[in-house]
Amino acid sequence: MQKYRLAATAILLAMLAAFPFLEPEVYYLSFMFSVFMYVILASSWNFIGGYAGYLSFGHAAFFGIGAFATAKAASMLELSPLLTILASIPAGALAALVALIVGYPCLKIRGPYFSVVTICFAFVVELTVKNIEFLGGAEGIYLKFMDIPEKLSRSILYEVMLLLMIVTLGVAWWLGRSRLGAGLKAIRSDEEVAETMGIPTAKIKIQAFILSAFFPGIAGGLFAYYLTYIHADVVFNINISILIVLMAMFGGGGTWLGPIIGAVILTVVNEGLSTFAQAEIARIIYGALFIVVTIFMPNGIIDFFRKKGGG
Amino acid sequence: MLEGKKIIKRFGGLTALSEVDFEVRRGEIVGLIGPNGSGKTTLFNVISGIYAPEGGDLFFEGRKITNLLPYERARMGIGRTFQIVRPLTGLNLIENVSTGVLYGRKKTAGARGAKEKAMEILAFTGLTEKARRLPGELVLEDRKRLEIARALALNPEILLLDEVFAGLNPTEISNAIELTFRIRDTYGTTIFMIEHVMKAIMSTCSRIMVLNFGTKITEGSPEEVANHPEVISAYLGAAYAAC
Repeated sequence: MQKYRLAATAILLAMLAAFPFLEPEVYYLSFMFSVFMYVILASSWNFIGGYAGYLSFGHAAFFGIGAFATAKAASMLELSPLLTILASIPAGALAALVALIVGYPCLKIRGPYFSVVTICFAFVVELTVKNIEFLGGAEGIYLKFMDIPEKLSRSILYEVMLLLMIVTLGVAWWLGRSRLGAGLKAIRSDEEVAETMGIPTAKIKIQAFILSAFFPGIAGGLFAYYLTYIHADVVFNINISILIVLMAMFGGGGTWLGPIIGAVILTVVNEGLSTFAQAEIARIIYGALFIVVTIFMPNGIIDFFRKKGGG
Repeated sequence: MLEGKKIIKRFGGLTALSEVDFEVRRGEIVGLIGPNGSGKTTLFNVISGIYAPEGGDLFFEGRKITNLLPYERARMGIGRTFQIVRPLTGLNLIENVSTGVLYGRKKTAGARGAKEKAMEILAFTGLTEKARRLPGELVLEDRKRLEIARALALNPEILLLDEVFAGLNPTEISNAIELTFRIRDTYGTTIFMIEHVMKAIMSTCSRIMVLNFGTKITEGSPEEVANHPEVISAYLGAAYAAC
C-alpha cells in the first residue's frame, strides 16, 4: 500500500513536471503556478496554524517580504535570471528572521488575541514598505524580464515553483511524523499540559513559526519574478492572508493532506467562478460551499476521506 | 528530594499559601490533605511551575528550581496529573503517551521506539485494549488512568497526583490504590498526592501533610494526623475538636 502510494505520487509529480513540455497556453501555466503557490502557502501556514493551533492571519506579510526582498535585490544588483531565482532563498530566510523577531513576543499570546496581533503585524509591514521610497514605496518595483520567449521563462518559473512545492510538502510530511510535530499537536490540545510533559512550548512554537514563514517567503520571491512587477497592495493584501487560512482549514488543519486539498479546490473554484460566472453569483456559490463544508465536515474536507476510509 | 521553604503565593489580596514548608523524601508516598480552598492544588501548581510563587524557594535533589520553566522541571523528573483530567483531546491514547515519551527524560529511538514505550505504559496502566481510542470515548476511571499514563511517559522521579481517586467507586478506588503502589514499586517513583478519599490516603501514605487556609497545620503518620485536634477542627468545626 505504501509503495503503491509512493509510486502514484511520483507519477503525478512527473506529469506535473512534464506539463510545460506539452506547450499549453500561458493561461494554464499561470493557473497551475498559482495552485502550486497556494499549496505552499497553505501547507506552510499549517505548521503553526494547523499543528500548533496558532491561527496566524498575517501570513501574507511573509509572502510579501520575500517578494519585495527578491525584487529589490534583483533590481538593485541587476541580478541574472538564475541569481534572481536563487535570491528568493535568502529572501525566504529574511521572512524567517522576521518571524523569529515577531514570533518571540507574539507567540506568548494565545487564541484570538494572537490572530489579531498577526493581522496588525501584516498591516505594519505593508505600511512600512509603502512609505519607504527605497523599498518601492507607493510605486512598487519592476523586475527585468528574462531575455527569452515568454512561454519559456514562465515554464522555468513553473518548474521552480513545483520544486519548491515538493520541498515544502516533504518538510510537511516529515513534520507530521516528527517529534516537533507531536509537540505542536500537544500544544494545540493543551499548552499547559504540554509544558508539564516536558515540551519546551515557547521554543518549538517559534521553530514552527519560522518554518511557516520561510517557504512563503521563497514563494513570494518567485511570484514577484513571475509578475515582473510587484506592489504592496498586491502581495500584502489581507485577502491573501485570509485565503491561506481558509484553504488550510477548509481542507483540514493539522493534517498533511488537508491544506493541499483546500488549496487546490479553492484555487480551482475561485478561478473557475471568476471565468464562468458573474461576480455576484460566484460569491454566493463560494459562500454556500463554505457553509456546507463547515456544517457537514467541521474538521475540513479531510473528514470526508477519513469516514470513507472507515476510521 | 523535593523541598519547599516558606512558599508564599498570593492571588490579589488572597494569600493562597503562606510560608509553607514541606519535604518529600525519595521512595515515600506522601499525602497532602486539607479542606476545599486550602491551597493544595495551588501548591502543586507552584511545584510544577505553572504559578510563580511570591516568596520562598523550591529545591529538587538539592538544586534550586524556583526560577525554572515548567518543562525544565518536568525534564528534571517532576511529573504531574491534573485534578480535572486534561488529556490531549483529538489524539488517541498512544499518541497522548508517546508524545510524553518523545519529550521525556529517557532518550528513545525515534517515533517507533516512543510508540513501543507508550504501549508498555498503557499496558502497565491497564489501557491496552483502548490504546487506539480517543480520550473523549473513555469512562472517568480510564481517563484518570490515562492522566497517570501520560505523566509516567516522562519517566518521572516524583509524581504529583492531584485527586486521582476523586469520583471513583469503591472497586475503582481499590484498583487505583493498587496502581499507586505498583508505580512506586516498579519504577521507584516517589509519590506526592492530594486526596480527599480517606480510605485511599490512610492506606497508601506513609506521611500526611495538612493544609488549611494556606498554612500547614500539621504533618505526621496517618493516625497522628487523623487524631490531631486542629485537623478535626479544620474539617468538622471547632466543636468536634473539643470533644
